[in-house]
Amino acid sequence: MSEVMIRGLAVGFGAGSERTEVLRGLDLDVTDGHLTAVVGASGCGKTTLLRAIAGFVPPDAGTVSIDGQVVAGRGVHIPPERRGVTLVPQEGALFPHLDVAANVAFGLTRRQPRSRVGELLELVGLGGMESRRPHELSGGQQQRVALARALAPEPRLVLLDEPFSALDAGLRESVRAEVRRVLRRAGTTALLVTHDQDEALSVADSVAVLTNGTVAMHASPESVYARPTDLGVARFIGQVVELPARVRGREAHTALGCVLLSADTVSPSANGSEALGTVTLRPEQIRILGVDQPGVVGHVEERTYYGHDATVAVRLEGEHGIPGPRVIVRTTGALPPEDEVRLAVTGTGRFFPTP
Amino acid sequence: MTLRARSLAIAAVAALTLTACGGSDSTDGSADGGDGSAADGDVVTIYSGRNENLVGPLLEQLEEATGTPVEVRYGDSAELAAQLLEEGERTEADLFFSQDAGALGALANEGRLATLDESLTGAVIDGYADEEGHWVATSARARVIAYNPDLAPEVAEMTSIDEILDPQYRGQIGIAPTNASFQSFVTALRVDRGEDGARDWLTRLQENEPRIYERNGLILDAVDNGEVALGLINHYYWFEKADEVGLDSITAQIHFLNSDDPGALINVAGAGILEGSEQSEGAASIIEYMLSEEGQQYFTDETSEYPVVDGIELKEGLTPLAELQGSSVDLNQLDSLAETLALLEEVGLT
Amino acid sequence: MHDRSAVAPRRLRRSGRPPGFLAIPGLVAAAVALLPIAYLAVRAFESGPGRVVEVIVRERTALLVGRSLALTFAVTAASILLGLLFAFLVVRSDLPGRTVIGVLAALPLAIPSYIAAFAWVSSPVDVSGFVGAFLVLTASCYPYVYLPVVAAMRGIDPATEEVARGLGRTPWQAFWSVTARQVRPAAAGGALLVALYTLSDFGAVSLLRYDVFTRVIHTSYRSSFDRTPAAILGLLLVLLTVTITVTESRMRASSEQVRVGGGVARRPSTIRLGRWAWLAGPLTTVILAVALVFPITSLLYWSATGLSSGVDVGRLVESAVTTAWFAVLGTLACVALAIPVGILAARYRSGLVRFLEHATFAGHALPGIVVALALVFFGIRFATPIYQETPLLVLAYAVLFLPAAVAAVRSSVAMSSPRVEEVARSLGKTRGQVLRQVTLPLAAPGIAAGAALVLLTVMKELPATLLLQPTGSTTLATSLWTETGVAAYAAAAPYGLALVVLAVVPTLILMRVQATR
Repeated sequence: MSEVMIRGLAVGFGAGSERTEVLRGLDLDVTDGHLTAVVGASGCGKTTLLRAIAGFVPPDAGTVSIDGQVVAGRGVHIPPERRGVTLVPQEGALFPHLDVAANVAFGLTRRQPRSRVGELLELVGLGGMESRRPHELSGGQQQRVALARALAPEPRLVLLDEPFSALDAGLRESVRAEVRRVLRRAGTTALLVTHDQDEALSVADSVAVLTNGTVAMHASPESVYARPTDLGVARFIGQVVELPARVRGREAHTALGCVLLSADTVSPSANGSEALGTVTLRPEQIRILGVDQPGVVGHVEERTYYGHDATVAVRLEGEHGIPGPRVIVRTTGALPPEDEVRLAVTGTGRFFPTP
Repeated sequence: MTLRARSLAIAAVAALTLTACGGSDSTDGSADGGDGSAADGDVVTIYSGRNENLVGPLLEQLEEATGTPVEVRYGDSAELAAQLLEEGERTEADLFFSQDAGALGALANEGRLATLDESLTGAVIDGYADEEGHWVATSARARVIAYNPDLAPEVAEMTSIDEILDPQYRGQIGIAPTNASFQSFVTALRVDRGEDGARDWLTRLQENEPRIYERNGLILDAVDNGEVALGLINHYYWFEKADEVGLDSITAQIHFLNSDDPGALINVAGAGILEGSEQSEGAASIIEYMLSEEGQQYFTDETSEYPVVDGIELKEGLTPLAELQGSSVDLNQLDSLAETLALLEEVGLT
Repeated sequence: MHDRSAVAPRRLRRSGRPPGFLAIPGLVAAAVALLPIAYLAVRAFESGPGRVVEVIVRERTALLVGRSLALTFAVTAASILLGLLFAFLVVRSDLPGRTVIGVLAALPLAIPSYIAAFAWVSSPVDVSGFVGAFLVLTASCYPYVYLPVVAAMRGIDPATEEVARGLGRTPWQAFWSVTARQVRPAAAGGALLVALYTLSDFGAVSLLRYDVFTRVIHTSYRSSFDRTPAAILGLLLVLLTVTITVTESRMRASSEQVRVGGGVARRPSTIRLGRWAWLAGPLTTVILAVALVFPITSLLYWSATGLSSGVDVGRLVESAVTTAWFAVLGTLACVALAIPVGILAARYRSGLVRFLEHATFAGHALPGIVVALALVFFGIRFATPIYQETPLLVLAYAVLFLPAAVAAVRSSVAMSSPRVEEVARSLGKTRGQVLRQVTLPLAAPGIAAGAALVLLTVMKELPATLLLQPTGSTTLATSLWTETGVAAYAAAAPYGLALVVLAVVPTLILMRVQATR
């Protein structure tokens, strides 16, 4: 059980003009016993962050400390094998020359009882598979063995690098739930890296959004979704409807009419003057009204049906012959049969002033 | 083989490797144990450029007769000479036994051969020891023309190598141009007649459409069965064949030109003692034995070569060396093989 | 997802500084491999740079460099063609008897090129000059391409070809556009060995009377006893080698691939030869007849003649045992030196690593006599106690055959994902433990295949053995040399046959390991 603290972490590759900075002064705290997800687009530095924590990439600046002990930075570089940080990589990376039991037992010290192997295999639901070879396992089973292997030496921290990305959709869901259950049961602190926001939101206790080599926001899944602190976060997590707006006080004037801003949105115009910027809404905040109800008129451009719900892309009517912005509407009801719809906003929007 | 067994095998391999490396660090002559003789003080180490099959029995015989224990390394004469030059004064070799004079000359030129006692250099027929006394010939061989008496009986009267250029022998001459013995003949030709003279001779030979063989022995076979009328070989090939099939069954005859002609080249095998050898006395006793009656008898009986000492009972058919009039080309000058090969290539004889 | 797999191979190699426990033995291996070049430099420049220029600008030098390159190019190209053809027929076609052909096609590797040349020379067929050298060398060298390509073809994910089929290619087109391209690194690695072997071969070309570069080096020792021109020409050969090696490694870098998916390999589909079968059958028969049946028959014929006239069986057995012993020791030393260099080459990308890898190849095209003289030069000065003892001979074998071992280690380590090693580190294992418990066991089959290749090459070695073996010992190769020295073909043949029989063992191991990979 442990707490990870990362301060000002910077990592770059290459030299001279070809040098690229991957992490630029990143701060991140991983709470003891929690599963924290780091989510970001491909190439944003997620994997580099994991490798720096594990000890495979030396930081150029900043520190990584676990339980108050600095493991990297300030002239310290504890080698990977002495950090107590284990890995569950993409596709498991099981040792192909060892059977399942030997894979799980690989990291056990002499003092740790061998019986842990059986217990852990039970825990991940693979009891009795001890003598199987990795190539005899399905992808999901391989991933669960990898998790058991990572948990076996009772690490201070488990790092999961896109552990579900190689699994097919149906399996992904169940293995995800399984992993969360096992980690909770073991009480292990874990850091999960993923490019899949649904995965981050559904599995983690807290979610850190990585953009441009720094953490843009780190909060509970609900906060990250409902109260993103910048436009990048809003755009990355879930679908977002962006509307240009003129704001005065808590009221924003947009193509969807007047939208009330949430209270925690920094009041852009304390002096009562007008501010320009973007208002964001989630697609489920926009409702399709009956044809006879008053609302903003728009034309349906695309309908996407998901079963449990559906999204409709609507082009708003503009002024002076110029078409208005396009918005995405999520609906759990029936898809509107006609092309012309009327829309209304529920709840509050968030405002990001134009810099 | 299971993976586990395989990794065990690898571990075993790794362990062996470690011991092997350890061995290479610590092994020395005494710890080796395998051949303790290396550590013995009075062993004479011989580098022999002559083939083990030819001289091995002689060396055994000699070890017994002189009481000098010997150790022999066999190799190619030229390569052994290069090795001796690289080893320099650190060499463990005491005696160099060479197939030809060139390799001995090369070592002598670098000051690697000690001056031999006159009792050795004086024992041989005049002209068969190095003038400076650095090496001495132990046996000699002659270039001859093998001919088929049914096809070209007139060869027996020839005195010059030019005579085979006669158009009547078109397609009737066998040569082995990649063989060292033919090449040293060409070198002698170059030394004797200059580059242009040699080129002229070779061009005319080429115009006579000679048959190319890989080895002297094959030329002799071809002459014997009438495939060609004549061929250029070393004399002992005829004796070897005669030994094998019997004197009565051999048709081919050989003719030595017996004049100062490059075609009448007499080359030698010889020996020299390495400068700084701690076993020079033992080495000298070995040379002494090689020049003794027993030694010389061995060469003529077993390798059909010419003894270089007078008064040896010759193999039937051999003329005493002292009576042969050979090419006057200095054997020490036969060291320009590269130019010879270039010339052979130029005229298309490869 | 797409961009991820595209960048993955690049990321699999670390740019960081290689660890000392690999770099230091790697440097030792490179130092050992560079001994001959150091020696050549000493000898080449002792008569001043003027001499160097004079030797290099000789007309004959240019001619022979040209000839060597022509022969090397022809043999390499033909070996690639034959290697690919056999690999395709054995792995992918429905040719009847392909399993047997698969084994037979590798066996010419067990026949030393000088024995094959000897078979031709001692036959009534007149094969000599360029054509002869080309035939004999191609016949003995193509397995260097065939074996790795077979392994690579078996390892390729059939999904890629299936994708190509889905994009409208016929089975043939899919094979050529997808599979044939994927085996390029394997073929290039094999082709490199073929090229270097051809450049350094002396025995076959001299028997077949084709004057090439190595012959000048030998002539230089033989004729003028002047080591300077030989050394200068040797350095020129090193230069050629480095050029070829660098070209190959560029090619490899540009077409490098790592199996990204972790899935279990399925067997690829069979391509029906259809009306081509009538051509493929006779063609393989002819090639195998030339490369395998003819030399073996010739050896058997001469052996029968030789055995009837009495061959020293005691000596034959003793030679065989000594040959096996030297070969095993030489192989172990070679593999031990190759492991650090191969792992570094597979896992790290830095100037030092590139230098180490190329250094181990630099002397590979040098004729054995040059390497032997270099070890004479250094051995007698700095390792007097082991001079002309087994350890120095073993070292010579390591210098001569390091590249094959390095290539085997490199490619087999590269086959396994470095992620697996990182997982092991994170589970508390030190770098050394990871090497022992993960990297080497995973690479073991590939390394074993490389070791088998070295083993059978060491068995055939002659010039270095003659100069460096312990006094009084004989190997099959030296006995063969002794017997042919007095033109006793019949007496020599049993040694040649024993050599081939002995070399078949590692060849079969090589095949087996690659088949199960």
